[in-house]
Amino acid sequence: MMMLLLPHREEEEEGGAAGRRRFPINDNADLLAEVLGRLDGRSLAVAGCVCRLWSAVGRREAVWEAVCHRHVAVGRAGAAGGTRSVVAALGGYRRLYRLCIGPALDRLAGVRRQGPAVSSAARHVSLSLALSLFSIDCYERLGGVGGRQQQPPASLLFLCKPVDVS
Amino acid sequence: MKREHQEAAGGGDRRGGEGNWYVAAEQEKGKALMGTDDGVDELLAALGYKVRSSDMADVAQKLEQLEMAMGSSAAANDDALLAHLAFDTVHYNPSDLSNWVDNILSELNAPPPLPQPPPPPPPDDPLSLQFDLPPAVTEQYTIGTVDLPDGSPCKPADVDELQPEASTASSGWLISQSGHQPEVAMSLRDRKRLKVCSSPPSSTITADAATAAAAQQVVIVDSQEAGIRLVHALMACAEAVQKENLKAAGAIVKQISVLAASQGGAMRKVAGYFAEALARRIYRPQPPRGMGCSSTVESAALDDMLHHHFYESCPYLKFAHFTANQAILEAFAGFRRVHVVDFGMRQGLQWPALLQALALRQGGPPSFRLTGIGPPQPDNSDALQEVGWKLAQLAKTIRVDFRYRGFVAASLADLDPYMLLGPEADGGGVEDDEPEVVAVNSILELHRLLARPGALEKVLGTIRAVRPVIVTVVEQEANHNGRAFLDRFTEALHYYSTMFDSLEGGASPPAAVEVGGHDQAMAEIYLGRQIYNVVACEGAERTERHETLPQWRARMSRAGFDSVPIGSNAFKQASMLLALFSGGEGYRVEENDGCLTLGWHTRPLIATSAWRAAGDPLSTSASCRTASS
Repeated sequence: MMMLLLPHREEEEEGGAAGRRRFPINDNADLLAEVLGRLDGRSLAVAGCVCRLWSAVGRREAVWEAVCHRHVAVGRAGAAGGTRSVVAALGGYRRLYRLCIGPALDRLAGVRRQGPAVSSAARHVSLSLALSLFSIDCYERLGGVGGRQQQPPASLLFLCKPVDVS
Repeated sequence: MKREHQEAAGGGDRRGGEGNWYVAAEQEKGKALMGTDDGVDELLAALGYKVRSSDMADVAQKLEQLEMAMGSSAAANDDALLAHLAFDTVHYNPSDLSNWVDNILSELNAPPPLPQPPPPPPPDDPLSLQFDLPPAVTEQYTIGTVDLPDGSPCKPADVDELQPEASTASSGWLISQSGHQPEVAMSLRDRKRLKVCSSPPSSTITADAATAAAAQQVVIVDSQEAGIRLVHALMACAEAVQKENLKAAGAIVKQISVLAASQGGAMRKVAGYFAEALARRIYRPQPPRGMGCSSTVESAALDDMLHHHFYESCPYLKFAHFTANQAILEAFAGFRRVHVVDFGMRQGLQWPALLQALALRQGGPPSFRLTGIGPPQPDNSDALQEVGWKLAQLAKTIRVDFRYRGFVAASLADLDPYMLLGPEADGGGVEDDEPEVVAVNSILELHRLLARPGALEKVLGTIRAVRPVIVTVVEQEANHNGRAFLDRFTEALHYYSTMFDSLEGGASPPAAVEVGGHDQAMAEIYLGRQIYNVVACEGAERTERHETLPQWRARMSRAGFDSVPIGSNAFKQASMLLALFSGGEGYRVEENDGCLTLGWHTRPLIATSAWRAAGDPLSTSASCRTASS
């Protein structure tokens, strides 16, 4: 059972149990969501393998939204609510991270390892760029009129790593 | 005997310092090559040079002959050549001096059939095959036509000296010369460096090294020599074609295919496409329809498919879309009804990103209308309508009011303004409240119009009549529309070599090969069709009439358009996009007087520019609004 240990304050004790108060985080899903929302994408995906509760909380859009916003440079403080609905319509933040932001961050990390030649402007993934790529991918996944056999969407392949762990 | 031995040894000592790094680089290979040490002169062996004592006299005598032969022939013809030989030769680790000297002597006495010009300057990256064709080749080509009897494989040229770090390249060269090391000859001159030709691709090098090290065979420097001969042969063939000397051209074309087979990677593919195009031009002056020579109905669907793969495999089209979208987005700021006319609809991959950006813009999305223009399709399938339907679906999910119209037109010149403006009945009475602003988008479409005189002017007039607030034009950054065939050929060779290099450099990771690998091959076919069109077609069929940015600027100004600078947002987004491409280090986004270009290393390959009609009150006020917001 996961516990959060709070610092113990003697003066607040009213008798009762001496020692530290224990706070099982699994009792409070919202708190868990807050915590998980501060992870990076890979850690969050791993956290989703811990138990069912964590898996469920880890799939919440709000959690992934927090993760996405933490990792991208948001250009203008535009209509946040509008962004939410558009992203939801295109497939959700979790998908956005998995398809666009995650691979992009991995690619940039690889580039940084290779050398400092990349200009500073290019080191961040901007939200607008990620959303553009996401929208193109979503578009490619739409079926044709007659439900014709479509090729698997390939516009994001240039970002793809060989193994998709999520 | 002893004196000669001492001379040779002394010569060796003089360059002991320089020889050392060769020893280090060559140690393992040297051991393989050296075999048994019996009879090898010890002093020279200590330096890493293998010379049999018994051969010394013979070798020394041959070297004297060599010096006389080289000295006389060089001086007779070209002082510059002599100067290069005198000052610019590097020495290599010799293992079999006698054979090498024999080889050189025989080459000097029997010149090769083709005059070989000095090779062009090398690329910075030894693995890429960029070369600066237009100035270098023409100038060196003149030297080549002076009939030089000196056919030494180590043709001096303006090439960088081999660095020790490039030891794979250099050692590969060395190994490939395993039977023929020129070392001792250089002892007769101080500090000579042999300027080497541009390094062959690494695959050839490793192959050479492997075979040579294993079998002690002479895998001749032919791979490098072949590269030079290949370029020279291509140019010679083109010149012969220009002079209508089709017999000579035909002979050279056959050589080209042989030479091309010995190369690897990008150079082989490029040479293959150019050779095929030349062959068609030579043997069939009026080539039959097909192979992209004219955009027939049958090839339209194929074109689209290849275009799609080209889109996936390299960033040029993505760059075009993103920068054009950014310019359009900025021009549309503040308007509630917008209309985009796309001259090359294809799969409509540009528009989802614009729809998404409009959905998220401040103030909410506008009412968006899209007019897509495309060529007639073979099987009566309405590709344009399908694309429109998909876009409509997407727009519906992100809640952007979307209307679509597709136009089939064999040529853009067939369009009239009233078609683009649309029937007034559309939208009803809303028309009067909100002005509809129009953006015209042309990605790699305008150059086709240059094939028919007057077509471009008509289309630009049509565009003006529509009164767009912005016109985005993306074109290849190259001049493939020169009057002389040879100029076009040279430009095209340079351009497409760079393109193919970038495809190799930015290749997708090997694991993503199922679709990724096909992408690159398809992209190469796509480019190959363009090559074919530039080289083999003429007149109205030659539609790939690329022109450079300054040329387009002049055309647009003449037609009454003013340049709209593409903002820094587009630049940043393009840079970010390129950072995501593997091999992104080679791509360069540059700003050129308000226009953005994307290129590979130093060579811009595609350029985006934005325009508006000069003096138009609506568009002027719109751009002022954009500038102030």
